[in-house]
Amino acid sequence: MNSCRVMKEAQSVLIHIFLLIVALTCLFPLFWMLRSALMSRATIFTDKSLIPSELIFSNFHTAWTEGNFGVYFLNSVIYTTSVVAGIVIVSSLAAFAFSRLQFPGKNFFFYMFVAAMMIPLPGSFVPLTVLMNQLRLGNTRIGYILCMINVGLSLSILLLKTFFDKMPSDLEDVARIDGCTKLGIWRHVALPLASPAIAVVVIFNSLNVWNEYILAQLLLNDKSLMPLQRGLMEFQGAHSVDYHLLMAGLTIAAAPIIIIYLFMQKHIIKGLSSGAVVC
Amino acid sequence: MRRKSLPFFALLLSLSFISGCGGPVKQNDTVVIWHWMNDRDDAFRELTKRYEEETGNKVSFELYAPSVYSQKITAAAQARILPDVFGILNTKSVVASFIKSGFIANLNKDFAKDNSAWEKSLYAEAIASTRFEEGNVYDVEPGIYGVPIDITNLKILYNKKLLEKAGVNKAPETFDEFIEAAKALNRVGISGLVSGWGEVWMVDCFASNYAFNIMGEEKVLATFRGEVPYTDPDWIEVFRVFETLRVNNALTSGVVTKSNKDAEQDFALERAAFAFNGSWCVNVYNDMNAELEYGSMLPPPVSDKFPMKIWGGAGSSFMVNNTSPNKDKAVTFLRWLTARKQQIYLAQKIKNLPSNHFATASIPEILSEFASAMAHATHPTIWPLNEESMVTEKFDRGIQSIIIGEKTPQQVAQEVQEIKIRVMEKKKKKRK
Repeated sequence: MNSCRVMKEAQSVLIHIFLLIVALTCLFPLFWMLRSALMSRATIFTDKSLIPSELIFSNFHTAWTEGNFGVYFLNSVIYTTSVVAGIVIVSSLAAFAFSRLQFPGKNFFFYMFVAAMMIPLPGSFVPLTVLMNQLRLGNTRIGYILCMINVGLSLSILLLKTFFDKMPSDLEDVARIDGCTKLGIWRHVALPLASPAIAVVVIFNSLNVWNEYILAQLLLNDKSLMPLQRGLMEFQGAHSVDYHLLMAGLTIAAAPIIIIYLFMQKHIIKGLSSGAVVC
Repeated sequence: MRRKSLPFFALLLSLSFISGCGGPVKQNDTVVIWHWMNDRDDAFRELTKRYEEETGNKVSFELYAPSVYSQKITAAAQARILPDVFGILNTKSVVASFIKSGFIANLNKDFAKDNSAWEKSLYAEAIASTRFEEGNVYDVEPGIYGVPIDITNLKILYNKKLLEKAGVNKAPETFDEFIEAAKALNRVGISGLVSGWGEVWMVDCFASNYAFNIMGEEKVLATFRGEVPYTDPDWIEVFRVFETLRVNNALTSGVVTKSNKDAEQDFALERAAFAFNGSWCVNVYNDMNAELEYGSMLPPPVSDKFPMKIWGGAGSSFMVNNTSPNKDKAVTFLRWLTARKQQIYLAQKIKNLPSNHFATASIPEILSEFASAMAHATHPTIWPLNEESMVTEKFDRGIQSIIIGEKTPQQVAQEVQEIKIRVMEKKKKKRK
């Protein structure tokens, strides 16, 4: 009995040590970023201590002003909110249709969406630029938002369809008896039930849009339309980098997404454990 | 709460759509320049202000991330939305394809104006990178297709303080003196030469310097044509340079795995007494350690048969959009930008080497040292032919093997020659 308990405790200790190591490897880069953000240009290459002897909090202010973060931050908020809202609306409607409605070519269109995930973003750079310019949407916010919605749709549709597939058809029947239209069933039955999956879609896409800058650089020319990642470029020269300001900028850029994750953590875990993520 | 969220999202989406509709209106009389040089953006903006004050003409520099720049230019070319002025971060063959598609203006007439005053003010080695000669392999109409705004070359840097500490009173002038200096440094626990030889192009650059010194340009090119084998004693001598460096502990440990960024840190933080690096290092070292006392020298020659050559030429060049309505304005601005006064400002502000040789007298001493070495500069882009990439790859990897003591110069020479023969046979078959 005793040896069994000892075995269990040893197992538990080993698991905890393993998890602790995994957690440390995840957190250490964030810690290093924060640590470097508080150092000076002179000490960043020479001070090897974990906690620097002198902490320079003004780096955050310098990064914010020199990187012109005010404008970029607002742009990123607009892009992230709009794109994520667009993706949630379009992908949930599409996923609901693919899951619950019958229409000709349903499987073909679904597989077309899934196949779109296989096309790497750089592969679509040239066609997107040509298309956006022909639509006179080049160098506009709406052009960039539409492209980013398109980028996030495939995975989101796949996630939500998997969730809707598991929704009991009885619920749908009850709603129909109560007078719900197809759109009503989507709005009042499917969407509320899919909130854990939607939370996963929101966090995945928020992260993607918040950190995106390649497509923005490609489609946008005007500095005032660029997202937050553009501000980080101010600290990276062709051959030299202001690491302390870059790290301060990265900390500012990472903070909102960490906050979103912390707020939605419960939903994400629920979404993941209830089968929203099938990959 | 849930009922309220959907209209809220819809409202946000609509708002952002509306805000996007009022996109910025491009002023047609403004010369628009797309560039990738993050560290020069502020200096360029300052110069555009001065230009507007002087001439009343507007110029706008738009900066893009270097990692995306090439893709943006390619996409813009296909969408026919290239700006008035742009750069191409790619090989000469890509520049040639842009020219043949009609995207880049031939600036021959502009350079020839006023008895070629503009052309004469710029380093010939810098112009050469965008010049296409009569009968060029790319089949491009002969002419100059770019304006170099700075130049660059690669030399050896030495730390004055560390050399003094090791009792070395002057920078070595020959390869033997260099090895002696490295030995003296080792005796006081200081590392010798550091470089980013994890990046094979830097190995290639150092090796070709010595190839030119040992056998001269003609024989190097004859090797590329397949007329001289890599097993020739002169080529073995080139490989032996690296073996000698290894045997005498003249290299820092791990040099073949270092990126140039790491190597720059090592030299700037005085962990190594010598560095093989490009002229851009002046800015980098200044950022990392403003107190660093260093000088520059040509790689010390092994032989006195041929002069030492170093890689150098245009650092960055701008091309003028051939279809732009602002073509003339763009050329006028580029001529102004490469004039002595503006070049001095750029050199002092961002510590690059000016492309205008009249500007070199008024720049920091270390930059002048680099500029004075332009007489020794050469570059693969201006050679009439280049080695096949498979052979170059084997050549550079072979040198890395010599540095880590895995292979001898003879073994590497044999292996490179085998690849060369294979590549030549393939080419022959293709021709047939």
